[in-house]
Amino acid sequence: MDLTRRTLLKTQAAAAAAAAANVTLPASAQNILTGEDLQLQWSKAPCRFCGTGCGVMVAVKDGKVVATHGDMQAEVNRGLNCVKGYFLSKIMYGSDRLTQPLMRMKNGQFAKDGEFQPVSWDQAFDEMAKHWKRVLKEKGPEAVGMFGSGQWTIWEGYVASKLMRAGFRTNNLDPNARHCMASAAVTFIRTFGMDEPMGCYDDFEHADAFVLWGSNMAEMHPILWTRVTDRRLSHPHVRIMTLSTYEHRTTDLSDMALIFKPNSDLAIMNYIANYIIQTGAVNREFVEKHCNFRLANTDIGYGLRPDNVLEQRAQHANDAQVSNASSFEDYAKLMSQYTVEKASELSGVPKERLEALAKLYADPKTKVMSLWTMGFNQHVRGVWANHMVYNLHLLTGKISEPGNSPFSLTGQPSACGTAREVGTFSHRLPADMQVNNPEHRKHAEEIWKLPHGLLPEKVGYHAVQQDRMLKDGKLNAYWIMCNNNLQTAPNTNNETYPGYRNPANFVVVSDAYPTVTAMAADLILPAAMWVEKEGAYGNAERRTHFWHQLVNAPGDARSDLWQLMEFSKRFTTDEVWPAQILDAHPEYKGKTLFDVLYANGEVNKFPLSEIDPAYENREAKAFGFYVQKGLFEEYASFGRGHGHDLAPFDTYHQVRGLRWPVVNGQETRWRYREGYDPYVEKGSGVQFYGNPDKKANIMGAPYEPPAESPDAEYDLWLVTGRVLEHWHSGSMTMRVPELYKAFSGAVLFMHPDDAAKRHLRRGQEVRIVSRRGEIRSRVETRGRNKVPPGLVFVPFFDASQLINKVTLDATDPISKQTDFKKCAVKVVAAATADAGDVQ
Amino acid sequence: MSRECHISSLVVHSRPDRVQAISERIGLIEGAAVHGGAEAGKLIVTLETDTESQVVERINAIQLLDGVLAATLVFHHFEPVQERE
Repeated sequence: MDLTRRTLLKTQAAAAAAAAANVTLPASAQNILTGEDLQLQWSKAPCRFCGTGCGVMVAVKDGKVVATHGDMQAEVNRGLNCVKGYFLSKIMYGSDRLTQPLMRMKNGQFAKDGEFQPVSWDQAFDEMAKHWKRVLKEKGPEAVGMFGSGQWTIWEGYVASKLMRAGFRTNNLDPNARHCMASAAVTFIRTFGMDEPMGCYDDFEHADAFVLWGSNMAEMHPILWTRVTDRRLSHPHVRIMTLSTYEHRTTDLSDMALIFKPNSDLAIMNYIANYIIQTGAVNREFVEKHCNFRLANTDIGYGLRPDNVLEQRAQHANDAQVSNASSFEDYAKLMSQYTVEKASELSGVPKERLEALAKLYADPKTKVMSLWTMGFNQHVRGVWANHMVYNLHLLTGKISEPGNSPFSLTGQPSACGTAREVGTFSHRLPADMQVNNPEHRKHAEEIWKLPHGLLPEKVGYHAVQQDRMLKDGKLNAYWIMCNNNLQTAPNTNNETYPGYRNPANFVVVSDAYPTVTAMAADLILPAAMWVEKEGAYGNAERRTHFWHQLVNAPGDARSDLWQLMEFSKRFTTDEVWPAQILDAHPEYKGKTLFDVLYANGEVNKFPLSEIDPAYENREAKAFGFYVQKGLFEEYASFGRGHGHDLAPFDTYHQVRGLRWPVVNGQETRWRYREGYDPYVEKGSGVQFYGNPDKKANIMGAPYEPPAESPDAEYDLWLVTGRVLEHWHSGSMTMRVPELYKAFSGAVLFMHPDDAAKRHLRRGQEVRIVSRRGEIRSRVETRGRNKVPPGLVFVPFFDASQLINKVTLDATDPISKQTDFKKCAVKVVAAATADAGDVQ
Repeated sequence: MSRECHISSLVVHSRPDRVQAISERIGLIEGAAVHGGAEAGKLIVTLETDTESQVVERINAIQLLDGVLAATLVFHHFEPVQERE
C-alpha cells in the first residue's frame, strides 16, 4: 500500500465517520471517494454478530472481503459500527478455517475413538445417513435430534424445521436461542398471544427515561447505546437508570445505578407495581379495557432432573406453566406485601433509589423504555421477570406508543428472525404456531403439501434436555449446527460432554472453525459463513434484512442450507415415514425427502434466471432453482394475513430491512396501537390481537429464591456473562483450543475485600469450585467490572477456561432457559490444591 | 508472517465539557488522528495500525478516557503491506 493510497483510505475513513455522526469536517476531508478509485466492490449486509441488526457495507476485492463500514442508509446504526463489527472483514479468514469434512477414523473406517481425518462429502454423508437410519430403525424418531441456531439464516432454520419435523418426524429440534431468550419469547406469547416486541428502536428517540434491567448495554449493544447517549445528551431531562448485580461500564455512565442481590429483581418489580397501585397511578381505563389479571402457579421448582430434591419438594414443578384467571383486587393484594422496606431488604438497594425508580414508572408524563437481555432471561424465574416488567407498563398504559416501550433486546443476529419466527424451538411451528395444536399442524401440512397426520404432536427435547438425553443414551443421532454448545451449555462436565462421547451416540457438528464442540464430535462438517452465502436475518425490532452471496467459501466448505438439503436426498419416504401414511397417500411412496420437502412445486418454483446476475449463489446452482426465494415465499405464506406479514422476497434485496407486519408495502413500527398498526380496528385505540379477546395478561407472581445460594462452604455468588474483550475468544475468532488445558485468558472479577479475606493477590491463580466442577483462573480486583463483596464474575467466552463446567443446569421451569447468572462457588488459591489436582 | 496495514475510523461521543481534553489525549495515541467534530461532542478519529488487535486496544483505551460516553467504529479496511515498501 503506497502513501497516496493510505492517505486516500484515511480520508475516506474520516469522511465516513463524519457522515455517520452528522458532523462537518474541514473541506480537505469532505469527499467520500467512490469504491471505484480503490477498486472495491461494495454491497450491503446485516452484521454477523448480535441481535441489534446493524447494516454494514462490505467491500470485496479479488474475491475476498477486505473492508467494511457502517451503512449510512441503515436506520438501525446510521453508519456506525461497533468493535465486534470490526471483525467482520476478518472472520472468514482465520488460519484454522475448516475446509473439508473431518471424521474420527481407525484403519480407514469410522471409529468413535479414532482420530479426525479428512473425508469427502460423500463419505461423510454416507456414514451419517447410516447412523441416522440405524437409530430410526432401532429406536424411532425420538432418538434423532438437532441443535440449531439463532445465527442460522431464515431459510436455514426453515429447511431444518421441515427436515426434522416432516422428514424425520421428530420435534427434537431446538436452537441455542433457548439459552439466550426463551424466557422472553415464552412470556410474549403468554402475555400478548404473539411473540416479539410491540415497539422498535425508534423508541430511543422518544423516551424520557431508560431503565436497563440487568443489561450492560454500553458494552453489549454499543450501537443502541449510542442512540441512548445521543438522546441523553441532547435532552437534559432524560434519565438512565441501570439495575445490575455488579458495576460495569453502563452503570458508570448512568444517572443512577441500583446494584441488587441476585434474583431480587423480582421483589423490586413487585414493589414498583405496589407503588403504582398505592399511589393511584394505575391507568384504570387502559387496564379495564385492555388487560386481564391472572395469578401464576407458585413453588414451581428449578427445571433440574426430576430426581433432584429441589424438584421433588416443589409443589408445582410439573405444572409450572399454569396460571389462573384472577382480579385486580387479588393482584393488588399479592403486590401489597412488597413494601419498599421488604424490597430494600431483599435486594440490598437503598430505599430512596427504589422510590426514584418507582416514580419514573408511576409518573404518567414520563415515557419509559425498559430494556433487558440475559439478566432477565437467564433466570430461574425468567418468565416471571418478563411478566413483571410488562405488568408495570400495562398497569400504567405505557406501551405500544413512541417512547413507552418494554423492549427485549436479543443476543444473536437472527434469534428473532430464525429461532422464533421460523419456529425452530421444540414446541413451535412458523408464525407462532405450536406443535401440540392439531389445527396448527394441519395448517403446516397443507402449506407444506404433505399428508395429513404426518407431523408429530409431541413437544421435542429442549436444549438442556437434549444434553441429558444424550448422556442417558436416549438421543443417539445428533446434529449440531452453527453453535458452540459445549462452551455455552450449563454444567457441561456432567451433562453435556458425556453425551457427546457416549459410545451409543453419533454426533455431527457443522461449523466454520474447530470449536470445542466440533472437537468433541464424531464428524465435523465445514460450513460456509455470512456473505459466503445468500442470507436473511431478523433483528430484535422485527426487522427482516437480506444479503447476497459476495464471496465463495474456501475449499469444500458449504452452507448449512446446502448440507441440510443435500443430506435429505439420502432418505426415501419408505425409510422414514410409517407405512400407514404411505398406504393412504401412495403418491409419496419411493420419493426422497428432498423431493417431498423441497422439490414440492413451491420451493422449486423460481428459476435460476431470477437471481441477480451480479451475484454468485452456490446453493441455487447446486439444486437448479432459486432455493432461497422458494423457501422464503413458502415460509412467508404462514404469516401473511395473520399479523406476521412479510414483503415479497425481491423487495428485501433492495431495502435495509423492513419491520413486520409489512402491509401494503408499509412496515409497522408500533404494534397493537391504532394509527400505527393496520391490524388494530378503527375506534378501538389499542388491541392486543394476539389473544382471542384482544387483551393482554397482567400476571401476578411472587419473589421466590434461586435454586442455589451461597452457604458456609460455597460462599460466593457466581455470575457469568460477556465482557467486551472476550468477543475475541468467541468461536469465530478462536484458535484451536484444547479442551481442558489451563491457560490464563479470562479472569475472575472479585471485590478487593473478598480477595484479602482469602489471602489472594491480584493476578494470582485460583480455583473456582462448585458442587459440579472447577476451573482455574486469575484474580482481578480492578478494571471496569466492579463486583460487590460476596459475588464473583467470570466471562464464559474463553474456550480455555470453561466456566460452564462450574455452572448449574437449573432452568426456568416454564421457558426451560438456563440460569447462568447465579450459583454458589468457592474460590481458593491454586497453590493450596491437593498434589493430585495439580496438572 | 506478512505485514498488514489497518485503517479505521471512529466517532467518539464525549461529554461537552471534556471534549477538548479528550481530543488532546487521543492525539497522543500512536497512529490516531482527530479530524474534527469537537463542536458537536462527536470527535472524528482515524487509526492507522499494523494489526487488528491494535485497533481494538486503541478503541478500548479511548473508551476508557474520562468523559468518553461511547467510541464506535465506522470504517475498517485492511490489506497486506508489500515488502518493498
